[in-house]
Amino acid sequence: MSAVLLIAVPLLAAFISILNKKLAPVLLLLVSLFNIVSIFFYSLGTITIGGFEAPYGISLVLDNYSLIGLIVINIAFFLVLLISYEKVKKVATVLLVALAGLNGLLLTGDLFNLFVFIEVSGIAAYLISTTNKKYVATFNYLVIGTVGSSFYLLGLIILYAMVGTLNMSDMALRISSEGISAANLSLPFLFMFIGLGVEAKLLPFNSWVKGILGNSNKLVGPMIASVYAGTISLVFGRILTSVFVVSDRLGLILTVILLVGIVAGETMAFASTKLREILLYSSIAQASLVIILFLEGITGWAVMMVIANVISKLVLFAIASYTSDELKTDEVDNLKGIFSKNKIIGVAFTIASLSVSGLPLFMGFVVKMNVLTSIFDGEDYLLAAVILLTSIVEGVYFVRVLIKLWYNKEDAKTINYNFVIKYIVSVLAVLLIVFGTYTTVLNDQVETVNEVFEIGGNE
Amino acid sequence: MLQYAAIVLIMLGLYGILTQRNVIKIILSLNIMEIGLNLFIISVGYVTDGIAPIMTTNHNTNSLIYVDPLPQALVLTAIVIGVGTTALGLAIAKNIYSKYGTFELDEMEEE
Repeated sequence: MSAVLLIAVPLLAAFISILNKKLAPVLLLLVSLFNIVSIFFYSLGTITIGGFEAPYGISLVLDNYSLIGLIVINIAFFLVLLISYEKVKKVATVLLVALAGLNGLLLTGDLFNLFVFIEVSGIAAYLISTTNKKYVATFNYLVIGTVGSSFYLLGLIILYAMVGTLNMSDMALRISSEGISAANLSLPFLFMFIGLGVEAKLLPFNSWVKGILGNSNKLVGPMIASVYAGTISLVFGRILTSVFVVSDRLGLILTVILLVGIVAGETMAFASTKLREILLYSSIAQASLVIILFLEGITGWAVMMVIANVISKLVLFAIASYTSDELKTDEVDNLKGIFSKNKIIGVAFTIASLSVSGLPLFMGFVVKMNVLTSIFDGEDYLLAAVILLTSIVEGVYFVRVLIKLWYNKEDAKTINYNFVIKYIVSVLAVLLIVFGTYTTVLNDQVETVNEVFEIGGNE
Repeated sequence: MLQYAAIVLIMLGLYGILTQRNVIKIILSLNIMEIGLNLFIISVGYVTDGIAPIMTTNHNTNSLIYVDPLPQALVLTAIVIGVGTTALGLAIAKNIYSKYGTFELDEMEEE
């Protein structure tokens, strides 16, 4: 079996699902499950499509980096489907296409193929977001997303005109062998950075996030904030580590922009009063932080941070969106004391939010501590200071939210969370604790990921 | 020369997206931008006096200059994707109209 099936099977199922609408959700679950199981049977290596060897044809790359991404994203995707099964029924076909697009994003070793998968998963994301019934927000998302991917394509074409290849590893080789200066590369790089930045929720390009995630239902919230965000971060990591070498000056500019993104995100989260807005601004800050780590070359731990974010955002957004679906409000003041009546949900939410803000015992702490150690080793004190400061801000607003949601038992509203969401969020919360205390697994994974890029890209 | 025309079209489209407040006009601007982009992609592969990149037995292929076929293949894909997004945009525009009764973004009451 070859890893092409991860993309081909969902696409085929998407076409079949059009024929029978009733069968579609079942097919979706089956295909998603098939993907999770089959990942463990593929052998690592480069897959050539259509018999054209690497620089000429499209190739898929399955190395330890994409493997770990595929495992996390496919499992997260499946869990989101389970949580929001009654919403899934309408958009089952779209979700199958989305699954194909997300797997393609992680697997592809070709920059134009990456653009196609960005558009495939992007169009699926616009359609998924229509289940919010906020069409103006979806329209904004569509326009910004299309402009972003057009920018990506523009940068890509300029790069093709300069270098003459579209294959990622070949591009990296030619850039170094032909001695193309970093100054010349900065224009196409910036265009591509903007294009990916739209989907990755980086600061100047993320005005769509509030409309989509601020009104999210229990399908859109976890899907966009956790699954999509994790995938795009990993794509960013792939491009920053194995295609481009960013010059110092450009790196400095980007780092400053991203730092502003972190600070702005955390400040907005601090100022928000709605639960979903707090979470979405916090995830904007987290996205910028991850990209900075990839820029700084702390690849292994950046991947771990992406995974920690996928797990904890899935828990947070699932609970927040479910709650606001039921109560039709997500003002924190209106939700006082809901956790005192739903202890399991409350504990899971608490664990996930404390993990995001980096308290000991949880996965977020291990990741943040190792990241900070590497940053201090690199003597980049400004970055370390910003991360520490924003962690404090994060801690403050999360604790403020938690206190409001746990106390004031008298006028607490009751919500019936169903069995599935309770089960899934508690398993994920336990996972955060396991990774937070038993750190050997993380260290091993970080080493395997780092090894991928030490040899000099993906051969 | 072709590149300049393409860049002008891209800029025109971007200007439209930034300034227009009508849903249909924004979709049109998006299309203009995409056409400019496609023109730009084609122009990258253009060679003066080049012929279509088709292998034939009639010519001694060594002495002929071909245009680069890859950008043309890319443009085909980009056009298809562009049509897909436009169709989706129009479908959402229809939903917006039936919900608010207008295409002007300023006249809608955003909740």
